[in-house]
Amino acid sequence: MVSQVVLQLLNGLVVGSSLALVAAGLALLFGVLHIINFAQGDFFMMGGYAVWFVLNLTHNFVLAMVIGTVAVAIVGGLLLTAVIWPLLGRSPVLVLLATLGLSLILQQMATNILGGDTKLVQPPLAQPVPIGPILYPAYDLVVIGAGIGILVLGYFGLQYTRYGIWLRAVAQNRPMAAALGVPVPRVYILAFMVSAGLAAMAGGLLLPLQSVYPTIGNDVIQNAFIIVVAGGLGNFRGAAIVALLVGEFNALGQLVPGIKPSVLTLTLFGLVILLLMVRASRQQILVRL
Amino acid sequence: MLDVKDLHAFYGASHVVQGVSFSISKGEAVALVGRNGVGKTSTLKSLMGMETRTRGRVDFDGSSLMGMASHVRASRGLGYVPEERAVFPQMNVEENIRIGALLHSASDGRGVLERAYALFPILRDRRNQMAGTLSGGQQKMLALARGIALQPKLLLVDEPTEGLMPANVELITHALLSATETGMTVLVVDSSFDLLKTLCARMYAMDRGVLIGTYKPADFSSPDELAATMLGETRA
Repeated sequence: MVSQVVLQLLNGLVVGSSLALVAAGLALLFGVLHIINFAQGDFFMMGGYAVWFVLNLTHNFVLAMVIGTVAVAIVGGLLLTAVIWPLLGRSPVLVLLATLGLSLILQQMATNILGGDTKLVQPPLAQPVPIGPILYPAYDLVVIGAGIGILVLGYFGLQYTRYGIWLRAVAQNRPMAAALGVPVPRVYILAFMVSAGLAAMAGGLLLPLQSVYPTIGNDVIQNAFIIVVAGGLGNFRGAAIVALLVGEFNALGQLVPGIKPSVLTLTLFGLVILLLMVRASRQQILVRL
Repeated sequence: MLDVKDLHAFYGASHVVQGVSFSISKGEAVALVGRNGVGKTSTLKSLMGMETRTRGRVDFDGSSLMGMASHVRASRGLGYVPEERAVFPQMNVEENIRIGALLHSASDGRGVLERAYALFPILRDRRNQMAGTLSGGQQKMLALARGIALQPKLLLVDEPTEGLMPANVELITHALLSATETGMTVLVVDSSFDLLKTLCARMYAMDRGVLIGTYKPADFSSPDELAATMLGETRA
């Protein structure tokens, strides 16, 4: 029993830390631009394919991760810029529809170019590591470490670096930030790229564990939305923490004898609604970056 | 230094600034006065590039500002201290000041902080406090200290003394005066007689979107006289 709990705790961290990357990217965009990006899951998908592609060429997983993440950050960032820029300052519904359209286009393009089958790669590290009573795959530990490491880095980057402070400034008071000389267009493009890059990194990290297929983004985005709402819309740290909790909830929930996955999901929705009700009665739901 | 010719600004369907022309020389402190809602704030915002629909000519330091985004105008040497929503509520005092200083080198950034704290020492005591939890008066001081400490060539200040107690009005007047003594040019919208009299050489009176006259603060001997002439009302 103890070994099963330890196993599920670790599994929860693997899922949670990669979900946290996707959700933190969504929260960043919501914080800075007040937009919801339906294509965030598809950047996860693109990240998986990009890493798969570079890995086949170079047979070096670290290199494939770096190139794949940076490539999707740039391409995804530019796509978001092209789709969202003309709609800034207009109805948020238009942005919502535009990113939904982008999502459908990306999924169809992936199917047409790469086929509908799943691409799987072997984990770069195969040997198991003893943790307490169990042996746990080394690569899964790398995913946990890399995911949490990037989130901590992102958090401190937002707190202390020049562009981090500017991102928060634009999120809190855009006209005043501009009047102080903050280059708002550059900050927007940076937010697009970082957001897409975070999703791509998660897609790449999970490639050896989950494989990749054209519609994998749809499976990711649903949980990511729940997390961003529960973490406080636009709150990078909140999204990251709630993602880890959701990962643990789903993993530990499987230990309950005879429970169906649908019951777990419904319970999760219920908990999120409860959380929102409690929070709404105490403070505003929307928390700034 | 600043040359404004036939400036128009539109807000929704209304034509809020209707052909304003004036100029300010380097090192001058000039005021824009008038009743509420006559277009003073819109004039300042138009100069800062924050009104989306404007028309006319604005030359600053010999080149045109028209069509430039706010952040480009800021890098050309314009500073702005708005009346409302001037601070970043969930950032602390020090970060609020640093945002603008980050455009410059690190040593300049230190200097900006020191200059801001020298103007209003209470900000140094509150440097780790979230700006949104400061009192209204302290938020005004923070915004003004930041505006001055960044040392723009031209500082646009909107209602810096509005709603403040007399002791703070004096502090703010003194801060602006010391800025002009370093050669900074100031365009201020305010109705405090003490501030106008101490700081400004000239005042432009504005009504319903147009300028209706130029005055000197010395022309008036009391706040009531100023109010009766330019604000179209007599103060209680």
